Amino acid sequence: MKLFLTAFVGATLLAQQAATPPAAPQQPAPKTEEKQPEEKKEEAAPAAEQWLGGSVEFGYRWLTDVAGNFNAYRSVVNLGEGPKLLNADFTIRNSTHKVFDRMNVLLHGWGGDPYNTARVDVSREKSYRLTADYRNMAYFNFLPSYANPLLSSGVLMNQHSFDTARRYVDLQLDLLPGARITPYLGYTRNSGSGSGLTDFVMDQNEYPVRNFLGDKTDEFRGGVRLEFDRFHVTLEQGGQTFKDDQHATNSQFTYGNRLTTVLGKTQSLTALDQIYGIRGDGIYSKVLATASPASWVNLSGQFLYSRLNTNSRYADNAAGQFVILSALQLFTGQRDTFAALAKQPHTSGSAGIELKPLRRLRLLESWTTDRFHNASSVALAELVLLTPSSMTNGATLGLGAADRLIYNYNQQQVDVLFDVTRKFTLRGGHRYVWGDAQYTPPVLSYVEGLQATELRRHAGLAGAYFRPTSKLSFTTDFEAASGDRTYFRTSLQDYTKMTARARYQVHTALQMSASFSLLDNQNPSPTVNYDFRSRANSLSLYWTPAGGKWIGVLGEYTRSTLRSDITYLVPQTLTRTRSFYRDNAHSATSLVDFNLPEMNGAKPKISVGGSFYLSSGTRPTDYYEPTGRFSIPLHKLVAWFAEWRYYGLAETFYAYEGFRTHLFTMGLKIGQ
Amino acid sequence: MPVRLQQILLTKQKARLTAGLLLILALPAAAAQQPAKASEKEKPADQPATYVGTETCQGCHEDVVKAFQKNPHQSVEISEKRGWKGKSCESCHGPGSKHAESASAADIFNPAKAAPGEVDRSCLKCHQNQPTHIGRIQGGHGRSQVSCAACHSIHKNGPTGLVARKPAAANKQCAGCHTSVWAQFQKPHKHPLAEGAMSCVDCHNPHGSFLPKMMQTAGGNQSGCFKCHGDKRGPFIYEHAVVKMEGCATCHEPHGSANPKMLTRHEVSVQCLECHANIAQPSGANPGGTVGGIPPAFHNLQSARYRNCTTCHIKVHGSNVSRTLLR
Repeated sequence: MKLFLTAFVGATLLAQQAATPPAAPQQPAPKTEEKQPEEKKEEAAPAAEQWLGGSVEFGYRWLTDVAGNFNAYRSVVNLGEGPKLLNADFTIRNSTHKVFDRMNVLLHGWGGDPYNTARVDVSREKSYRLTADYRNMAYFNFLPSYANPLLSSGVLMNQHSFDTARRYVDLQLDLLPGARITPYLGYTRNSGSGSGLTDFVMDQNEYPVRNFLGDKTDEFRGGVRLEFDRFHVTLEQGGQTFKDDQHATNSQFTYGNRLTTVLGKTQSLTALDQIYGIRGDGIYSKVLATASPASWVNLSGQFLYSRLNTNSRYADNAAGQFVILSALQLFTGQRDTFAALAKQPHTSGSAGIELKPLRRLRLLESWTTDRFHNASSVALAELVLLTPSSMTNGATLGLGAADRLIYNYNQQQVDVLFDVTRKFTLRGGHRYVWGDAQYTPPVLSYVEGLQATELRRHAGLAGAYFRPTSKLSFTTDFEAASGDRTYFRTSLQDYTKMTARARYQVHTALQMSASFSLLDNQNPSPTVNYDFRSRANSLSLYWTPAGGKWIGVLGEYTRSTLRSDITYLVPQTLTRTRSFYRDNAHSATSLVDFNLPEMNGAKPKISVGGSFYLSSGTRPTDYYEPTGRFSIPLHKLVAWFAEWRYYGLAETFYAYEGFRTHLFTMGLKIGQ
Repeated sequence: MPVRLQQILLTKQKARLTAGLLLILALPAAAAQQPAKASEKEKPADQPATYVGTETCQGCHEDVVKAFQKNPHQSVEISEKRGWKGKSCESCHGPGSKHAESASAADIFNPAKAAPGEVDRSCLKCHQNQPTHIGRIQGGHGRSQVSCAACHSIHKNGPTGLVARKPAAANKQCAGCHTSVWAQFQKPHKHPLAEGAMSCVDCHNPHGSFLPKMMQTAGGNQSGCFKCHGDKRGPFIYEHAVVKMEGCATCHEPHGSANPKMLTRHEVSVQCLECHANIAQPSGANPGGTVGGIPPAFHNLQSARYRNCTTCHIKVHGSNVSRTLLR
């Protein structure tokens, strides 16, 4: 890594020395209309053509001892110590235009950070464009408050912990970009691997065991885009392969979560080998089309079809002291074999039409459907119980049944937009959502055949856009719906949704915006009695006096509340109780940049800011992320920087998951 | 929202009525605009302007034209494909003869000061028939008068286009309007957007999508969540219906949460019992019926083992082995 950093930085330095000095760096000021002339001035004198431009930022990070729960720190933040390539962003221009015209490379978070990303974009005009996107995200999760049945006894072990990484690679090659006919090819790989803890579940007990995870999806696709003045068609065909090889194992004696006896015996696990071999494949077809047969009408439509298959192979071999309570059977070993298939044809389609019968009037009509049919069948389900010498087939234990899920969703929507004046637009509309689903009933419902459920909801839509001056604008959207069929108890039923936004440019250097959002959802059915309301009010401010020459301020504040109330019956007593959840939160982010007088051809800079989230309610949480950064130019193109960050999490009811730590980073930024 | 207003609107008849009334109100007003337009045309001063070409524009706006040579839209200036060769300025700003004569800003179309619908009309003259805009009619941005120019800086030069491409820059742009959504990413358990590892457009298609919330699609017509979470996609031998029917957001806060695993509730048992509530099994004869099985009585919530359903129901997103999602 160090070698790579040295070589990379060296090459960049050499390249920068050879290049013509670029234009002065732009301030990260918000986009304002008044700023446009400045941008134009910068554009008026573009830097001379250079073969390499960009910047690279690298350094070393120190982490103070994490106070509190280190596992919670790793689950939430997970930034570590060591040398880091923090950011690199450079463009290579090839003046010969032989293999490529331009190459953009973007790197972020290399050197052991939890999120490494790389993006490469290479193109040659009228020949090809190749983009490559790589992401490697560490997923560490060890939070005792999640899925830990032993929490009340003081054992802070999460029985579902992960120390894994997910990697995502996407390649896309477009041939003849900008031409009427553009063929393209693509490949995507999404994989995950690592280890963790999971439970091996038996009839009357469950045992935490070591778990090794590994899954991978490969997708290949190819297609052609036909773009003409009056219409466009995209045809794409793709295929996927999938595999999931999970392996849980245990070789030591464990009592599991249940310490009481069952049929006079204490349950235990002494050995386990549990292997999943899931394989899948699928194809998909995609047809997209748009057309503008006349200046007053636009059409669009898409048809998407996929067919995914899964082939499941599973086996486990467990030894210990187990019981099947329903059969009153004790046994000391188990061999379980399972093989099954699932298929899922999935069709989606949508069509839209935009009519402009009058200059100020637009009509939007759209229709969408999404339907799939998931069907599985079990080829083999065998459960062999060992000692006392007996053998029971899984089918007699209710295992190995086939499964169905049939789902049809439809939506039709019409919107009418009318420009009352050039500065005031009104919108009204209606949305109708309907569908049906059939599914295999739950095991314990003792219902034969498939069960059916329906969805039906009407919504009235309205909106307005008002811009009295170029510096002031208001937007609002309103939606009110009434449903008489819904799939789930917490689904949208009778709801009101509203958003409103206002933006005001008080001064050339000061811009403010405010927003309000509301979702109020009710299901008054006596068997549900669901009452949900969430609200958020936000205010943001951008202040960049003199175009941010000396100071730039960004501040955002959001006040949000959430209240959910629904009834359910407690399983063991069937008494009615309420699930009541609320969250009252304040959150803010800010960044203040100070530019100091110029030295060594550039300006030193101090930035302070950060964010916090403070909430009360069902899970009171305080989370702080303040940050500060100091940058001193050593040369026109080289700056030394020091950065401090603090992470602090405190939870009133889960105090053992709190942590706080400081991070210090020092390094160099080379380039503009 | 006042309860009274909500009650007024919460019937399908009223919803239709609202739409109908707006349409009725809009049509006469629109019709009323037509005579005015016709009479305006009669004025000699409003004779249609004509195209003068980029060279004429360059006479006054040399800096802009020069800088535009590195702009992706320069292809409009030099290519025959769109029919605007040599007239790229006027391809967006309209014919410029009047403006060239008067030098008045009032005589040229300025998208920065135009209504969003007019801006979109100008951009979509060329960009309508591209795959990018396949979901535009269904998308929320178009309906809410968010014009193309709200995100795309047409004059800005950039090696990869006219809009923020780096994740951090793209997020900043989206957060400029969606401030309260950005606030959710300040919670402890969230997708790593604030860290610059992801951007809003990884999950959402700002141009519109046929899926709710302008979600991206993966693998043809799967939800965009499965682009990264491929192990949750299935098809499973035993599906957890809600994952496919209502999506991940039924149980997870996709932007951020104070609860582990970005759940919408603080405890797993409560999360599950809100649907698996022991009440109202679905049936065709029971319109109020909803999907969700019954946890049996031996699930004694006083026992710690049963307070976290996922302790045993490990494969909660769907199982390839166990119908009760145990393995």
